[in-house]
Amino acid sequence: MIKKLPKRTVVIIGGGLTAGLISRQLTSQGVDVLVLERGGEHAEGAEAKLPTQRDELRWDTRQGLVQRWNVQTYTLRHNRQDAAAPIRWMEAFLPGDGVGGAANHWNGHTWRWSEYEPTLRTHYVDRYGKNAIPSNVTLQDWGITYREMEPYHELFEKLFGISGQAGNVNGKKHAGGNPFEAPRRGDYAQKPLITTQAGLQFTAAAQKLGYHPFPMPVANSSGTYTNPDGQKLGQCQYCGHCERFICEAQAKGTPDVLLYPMLRQRKSFELRQHAHVLGIDYDRAGKRVTGVRYIDVQSGQEYEQPADVVVLAAFTMTNNKLLLQDGIGQPYDPATGLGVVGKNFCYQTNSAVNLFMKNSWMNPFLATGGTAMCIDDFNNDNFDHTGLDFLGGGLISAGMFSGRPIKSRRLPPGTPRWGTAWKQASADWYAHSMGLSVQGSCYPNTENFLDLDPVYKDAYGQPLVRMTFDWRANEEKMSAFVTRKMEDIARTMGADIVGPAAPRKSPFDTRVYQTTHITGGTIMGADPHSSVVSPRLQHWDAQNLFVVGASVFVHNAGYNPTGPLAAMALRLGEDLVDYVQRPRELA
Amino acid sequence: MSQNTSDTGPRRHFLRTVMAVVGTVPLAPQQLAGAGIAALAAGSAAAADAQPPAGVPVLVGYACFSADEAAFVESMVNVMCPADQYTPNGVDCGLAIFIDRQLAGALGQGAGRYMSGPWEPSKPQMGLQLPLTPAQFFSAGVAAANRQCRTQLGKTFDQLAPADADAFLKDLSHGKVKDDELTLAPWFNELMYPLFEQACFSDPLYGGNYDKVFWKMVGYPGLPATHTLDMVNFRGKPYPGARDPKSIVDFS
Repeated sequence: MIKKLPKRTVVIIGGGLTAGLISRQLTSQGVDVLVLERGGEHAEGAEAKLPTQRDELRWDTRQGLVQRWNVQTYTLRHNRQDAAAPIRWMEAFLPGDGVGGAANHWNGHTWRWSEYEPTLRTHYVDRYGKNAIPSNVTLQDWGITYREMEPYHELFEKLFGISGQAGNVNGKKHAGGNPFEAPRRGDYAQKPLITTQAGLQFTAAAQKLGYHPFPMPVANSSGTYTNPDGQKLGQCQYCGHCERFICEAQAKGTPDVLLYPMLRQRKSFELRQHAHVLGIDYDRAGKRVTGVRYIDVQSGQEYEQPADVVVLAAFTMTNNKLLLQDGIGQPYDPATGLGVVGKNFCYQTNSAVNLFMKNSWMNPFLATGGTAMCIDDFNNDNFDHTGLDFLGGGLISAGMFSGRPIKSRRLPPGTPRWGTAWKQASADWYAHSMGLSVQGSCYPNTENFLDLDPVYKDAYGQPLVRMTFDWRANEEKMSAFVTRKMEDIARTMGADIVGPAAPRKSPFDTRVYQTTHITGGTIMGADPHSSVVSPRLQHWDAQNLFVVGASVFVHNAGYNPTGPLAAMALRLGEDLVDYVQRPRELA
Repeated sequence: MSQNTSDTGPRRHFLRTVMAVVGTVPLAPQQLAGAGIAALAAGSAAAADAQPPAGVPVLVGYACFSADEAAFVESMVNVMCPADQYTPNGVDCGLAIFIDRQLAGALGQGAGRYMSGPWEPSKPQMGLQLPLTPAQFFSAGVAAANRQCRTQLGKTFDQLAPADADAFLKDLSHGKVKDDELTLAPWFNELMYPLFEQACFSDPLYGGNYDKVFWKMVGYPGLPATHTLDMVNFRGKPYPGARDPKSIVDFS
């Protein structure tokens, strides 16, 4: 029997990064907040302590910190004519589980997207004409500007102690930083990380080719750091166990270090763990939500939790699932182009190349999740697309993130897969190889979308989210172009061997990790007919429901999504302080 | 059990394992060549490593393999990891024990794997679509591989000469061995090969990578790692810690 609980002011679904940031804003003003998180605590577990933290097999290969696919997975078809199959063990992207969510096991890459990204449609039409955007590429403006978001970027970077090198301070270019970056008001919170050998060699080659290398901005703490809330980060020790791991040195900016311990001290905050949300109660006639239903996964008891305001702050896929399942907003229909929920589902179009240099000691284990030198010269619309038959681009970087030996051994092409020759190649090249990679944009396509699978169910008997996704023409052409630019740099670096630089091509493969940056489906915008939430992240069809996270992104750029989604969460928290006092449609 | 060690039939590897793993003498780093380690291995530290390490647990006895499965896996890991200048043979490196323990444990039992039907064939990019746990898939695959081996070569896999066994594994990986009941290429490429790599390079805690022999081979220093100063001092230079890696076992 479902139990009804006393009403709360703000109930947030999902205890990850955005929930922590929103709660910070709300509880600083004494607003009552309840966060529902399906998983448990990591801070005192084997995943957060030595020596067990440094276990590649347990946390990385076996996905010890990742969503359990037996509880909830997704189905995939490449085209809507195909039958979808459930992904029984996903490698392509890795949602988190537990307090802090996916932001616990992230690498820490923190970007402000280019100034033109929130107005990308207008930007492309202005620059290349009204026919520049193909009709099946459903780019649209986000309804916000970078200028509006800048103060929240600034706050997030201070809260998370971002290490980086400013390249554009109030429009003035700074040597050594990213000349393409959106204008900042000042330096990063901390100086950049120490550059790796791979980074030095990449920098020399990129400069030789006339490009503009700079260090990746990251939430790996280059020094000891105290943030504006008095929360502390240790100095990064370059152990190479960031992505897919919990930092035992508390040197990675994560919600479980910088947000939740502080929030727990605040009287108006409650975090309820092991609370898996099953649905949002929607009053369709009243165009409002009344609360959420969840199951305590430790006892099996179901609860109804009434709320004045509900914030949907789960991973992209769950944000979509709950709206689709509870019929909040009109589902997208690719046949007619009508409807919005599930629309503009995007991923990221990545590729890589390996370099082998017998006279260079790369020592891949001397690394953090963010030791990378980058160039932005071929990212997004930082270069002229006139005469090119695609839009978008990618970040090219020499990222040396780990020397973990199961996955981070690079072998020259043609190496046998086992035997003495395989061992010899492993021994010869492990410390003498590096990689370059492209993190490429992914623009929406009318045929890439999310809906509910008609066949497959999760552990609670609810439908799985179905992905209809593949690499479409625009992304394949973009990847071919930027991957060639990456290969040119690789060839300039004087390597003994350069591996194949294969651009990303259809079909999308769930068996290979690419990135966890999946976006869209609950997109934001100024027009209720073409967006799910308003520029203030307020649901058009339920005034007291707000949606936050990468699911509101209209498209995906060649950057990690964390910067913008964190900035939006901080702004939403501020908006909600106001909203709970005077509920209304926020302008 | 020891009376049977003279048996030269298909089971011989299984019985030898116990002796071999117990009696393993770690490889002296002088024997290792390769640019990654050669520069580091020269020097006095190498001699000290020639003694059997104290406190390294030796796992013996299989938790889930049948005799046929043990024979198959032992032959497989010895072909894929022959004794050479880099490492002892695969069995002596603990690779068979690792695979057995993984299949007996959470991985083998399908922990975290979505196991609801219906079960329909699909494209490879969606991953395996079989109503089998990895342990069941393993068993079915060994049976199918041996069945095909017997049909084609008149022997079970463990009875093949090493060169023939190597060729058979290559054929498996390239999809050239067909079986009516089970598709063997994904069995080898998506189950067995990853287990082999993991057996070599995981922390020795799990029974493979005995005495960190693969970490020493490539020069991975293991844990813990406080590298802030190393980032500058050993940037572009050989890292001394690579010659003496530390595992979870060393700190337990």
